[in-house]
Amino acid sequence: MTAHTERAAGRATPPSERTDTAAEGRTGELADALAALVGREHVRVEPGQLAAYARDATPLFHAPPDVVVFPGSTAEVAAVLRLATERGVPVVPRGAGSNLCAGTVALHGGVMLVLTRLNRVLEISPGELLARVQTGVTTAQLADAAGDAGLLYAPDPGSRTVSTVGGNVATCAGGLRGLKYGVTRNYVLGLEAVLPTGEIVRTGGRLWKDVAGYDLTRLLTGSEGTLAVITEVTVALLPKPADTGTGVAYFDSLADASRAVAAVIAAGVVPATLEFLDRKCIEAVEAFAGLGLRTDAGALLLFGDDGDPSVVAGNLSRIQEVCTAAGALEVTLAENVARADALLAARRCGLPALSRLGSLTILEDATVPRHRLAEMVGRIDEIAERHGLLIATFGHAGDGNLHPTCVVDPDDTGAVERAHQAFGEIFAAALALDGTITGEHGVGAAKLPYLADRLGDDQMALLRRIKHAFDPAGILNPGKLGS
Amino acid sequence: MTTEPPQPGPPAEGPGTGRGLFDKQQLDRCISCGFCLPACPTYSLTGDEASSPRGRITLMRALETGELPADDPTLAEESSYCLGCRACETVCPAGVEYGQLLEQWRDHQWSGPKRPWIVRLLTALVARPFLLRLQGLVRRHARPSGGGPADGPSLMLGCVERGLYPAVSRAALRLRPELNVPPGQGCCGALHAHNGDSATGKALAEELGRRLPGTLVTTAGGCAAHLAHHLGPDRVREFGDHLHREGHVPAGRVTVDGRPARVGLQDSCHLRNGLGVTRPPRELIAAVAEYVEVPGAGDCCGAAGTYAMLRPADSRAVLDPKLAALAEADLDFVVAVNPGCLRQLRQGLRRTGARARAVHLAELLALAEEDRT
Ligand SMILES: Cc1cc2nc3c(=O)[nH]c(=O)nc-3n(C[C@H](O)[C@H](O)[C@H](O)COP(=O)(O)OP(=O)(O)OC[C@H]3O[C@@H](n4cnc5c(N)ncnc54)[C@H](O)[C@@H]3O)c2cc1C
Ligand code: SF4
Ligand code: SF4
Repeated sequence: MTAHTERAAGRATPPSERTDTAAEGRTGELADALAALVGREHVRVEPGQLAAYARDATPLFHAPPDVVVFPGSTAEVAAVLRLATERGVPVVPRGAGSNLCAGTVALHGGVMLVLTRLNRVLEISPGELLARVQTGVTTAQLADAAGDAGLLYAPDPGSRTVSTVGGNVATCAGGLRGLKYGVTRNYVLGLEAVLPTGEIVRTGGRLWKDVAGYDLTRLLTGSEGTLAVITEVTVALLPKPADTGTGVAYFDSLADASRAVAAVIAAGVVPATLEFLDRKCIEAVEAFAGLGLRTDAGALLLFGDDGDPSVVAGNLSRIQEVCTAAGALEVTLAENVARADALLAARRCGLPALSRLGSLTILEDATVPRHRLAEMVGRIDEIAERHGLLIATFGHAGDGNLHPTCVVDPDDTGAVERAHQAFGEIFAAALALDGTITGEHGVGAAKLPYLADRLGDDQMALLRRIKHAFDPAGILNPGKLGS
Repeated sequence: MTTEPPQPGPPAEGPGTGRGLFDKQQLDRCISCGFCLPACPTYSLTGDEASSPRGRITLMRALETGELPADDPTLAEESSYCLGCRACETVCPAGVEYGQLLEQWRDHQWSGPKRPWIVRLLTALVARPFLLRLQGLVRRHARPSGGGPADGPSLMLGCVERGLYPAVSRAALRLRPELNVPPGQGCCGALHAHNGDSATGKALAEELGRRLPGTLVTTAGGCAAHLAHHLGPDRVREFGDHLHREGHVPAGRVTVDGRPARVGLQDSCHLRNGLGVTRPPRELIAAVAEYVEVPGAGDCCGAAGTYAMLRPADSRAVLDPKLAALAEADLDFVVAVNPGCLRQLRQGLRRTGARARAVHLAELLALAEEDRT
């Protein structure tokens, strides 16, 4: 057994054992204490109610919490955390539960702290180009509120209609506009967060330029609910681009498409969007969205840009030329905004659409430097073939961020095991190409076994010291970062 | 409190763990992405995962694997709280057929003595042919007749509609006199399928398919979706969809005080979400009146079959925002394409003292047809 298979075996969650009555008694008492803080109607303890919170979007992981709480204010969040620290009870912060790394699975039981009641857009300030929202506002709600004020919230994760801004910050979500605009981190100006000890801190503020002190805003961004619970977020907005445009280029293979990506960047064009899908993804997306995509091609590149109309038109036609020169079978531009939106929406649902192909869909996330994309695609193909697995790949080509996705039959334990092994090899391949084990989905419980490979022991030790400084009792999201 | 670190164990859904209550492929297909959450009316009321499509599928999984006992109260509550509107299906990229899963869930949840008595009463009544015939004697629905060629399209009378709204089938026949109205029509079984007896639901659909030759034309969106599932989409057509395909547009106009009537639509969930029929009723209305798109027309009205009877308070909570939107739209008529929705809207509009009248699509079009003369 290789090191990776041993780790892979550790990924499966044991069936929970919560039959002992002493534990139930303690849970009942805890629930009463929580009810006194947030109101009885905002606490759930029935086994069925807990079971509904046993999962997020990560397959093969599930474990119900002991209590679910829905606080309605920052003060209530603080009260819950103080209580949990006093009693040494684990707390799992949860936004929409759309993460793909088991970040919100309550592996150690305890309290599921659901933040969706904190769902108000507090402020849009066109003068300062910023928005202030409560943590449970969805990404789409923030984007719409900004759009109504003629502004753009640039981060655009595929899950935007469901995911919360708090969850985006906690995972430092990327998205479809990442190439030109970067990821969530680049837009967070300030946070209000509650430490596990119940202290409320405000980091950063309303300024683009502010270097006073350690950058705690950045430290909390991407901390995956292990350092503090974020209750309010201030984000930078941009003026809404005057125009947007989108196009599709078809290629014989994903490797050809990857080479075209390199050619586009080499040509000095940095479009807002440069996404790719392989043949299996195209078929799956087409089955859902019925957009008339070419399903005979081996891969497609979806490209898009925004800005001044003449700049957009110029960039799109340049990409069209470059792709054609790079051997594209066909390049077409979306004739109107509706068509462009449909194409982007279809790309956003690549993952769920893939589950049409089979019953268990395991998606992973690895990033390599852009110029090594074609090489990485080749290695994924080789690994899939060697293990006899169906691995479809799509992702943010412009960022070198790939989402190899394996579709297997969950009853075929051999295949599930082989899939884990294959993903271990894929991560190793990414590291060997100077890449990383996750570009945007985070570490959570799913990737924790691989984290030391990326960071090394010294950084791991530092991570733990930081974790201890924020969370001395170790109650916040145990089994994840900093554990 | 469990605080031990997790130990390696078998995958949560290992082989042999299923109880066979659900179509496992369908259950497995859901990847818990949550794309369906924003579409779900009950989730938007509670914000609780358990009352979302994703959460309900998670509950079904727990029932299937035995992690939750069959008598778990949340299972009972959520299988009944769900409207069955299938709005979640239309936005699910993975293609999970939630409506099928719900039927399987209710088969289990509402079996034997656990069935709500209203459901028992209703399904028993509509499965009695002589009672259905009796309804025809009391309330004057369209008389059985052979309007057209024997293998031509037949008008289905609908077991509930026959009694509650007999004028609908009369209107339908006035518009399309060539429709056959075969005698001895039973019930299509949608009521059974949605209420925990999908086996009878299927049997009744097949039986009706044998009794009514040719294309089955129905004025009820719910029946259309159920029949289409069992008899194939080619054999079944909702009335508006039928007119639309035949290219039949009523010649006259519906006017109020000399101006074209302002008319909105309430989609039937099953017609919209199950069969994807949204344009035909809108275009037909626009042909005879001033069509007004009411915000949220595609959202469930809360009638949801027996739901309004089983859970009146929840049903109202779903209806209320719709009534507000309808009031805002200042309509003369709001059109429904399903008897349950018609009843729900009539009651709601009456309760709020609204000006608009709820009518069935066939009735509105028949009004226009009369105007021709
Ligand atoms: C179909 C699909 C497409 C996706 N596309 C993308 C994509 O393009 N880019 C991308 O980056 N991700 C993507 N994701 C992953 C996921 O949507 C993101 O990670 C998202 O940011 C999670 O937000 P959430 O509100 O669901 O958070 P959750 O899943 O609820 O939580 C995620 C993590 O953040 C922590 N957390 C949540 N809220 C708080 C808070 N208020 N304070 C502290 N910690 C908190 C949790 O403990 C957990 O560790 C996709 C997922 C799916 C299913
Ligand atoms: S959208 Fe479909 S796959 Fe995603 S959670 Fe809902 S039912 Fe499951
Ligand atoms: S059928 Fe309707 S109420 Fe039921 S889960 Fe789906 S969207 Fe929600």
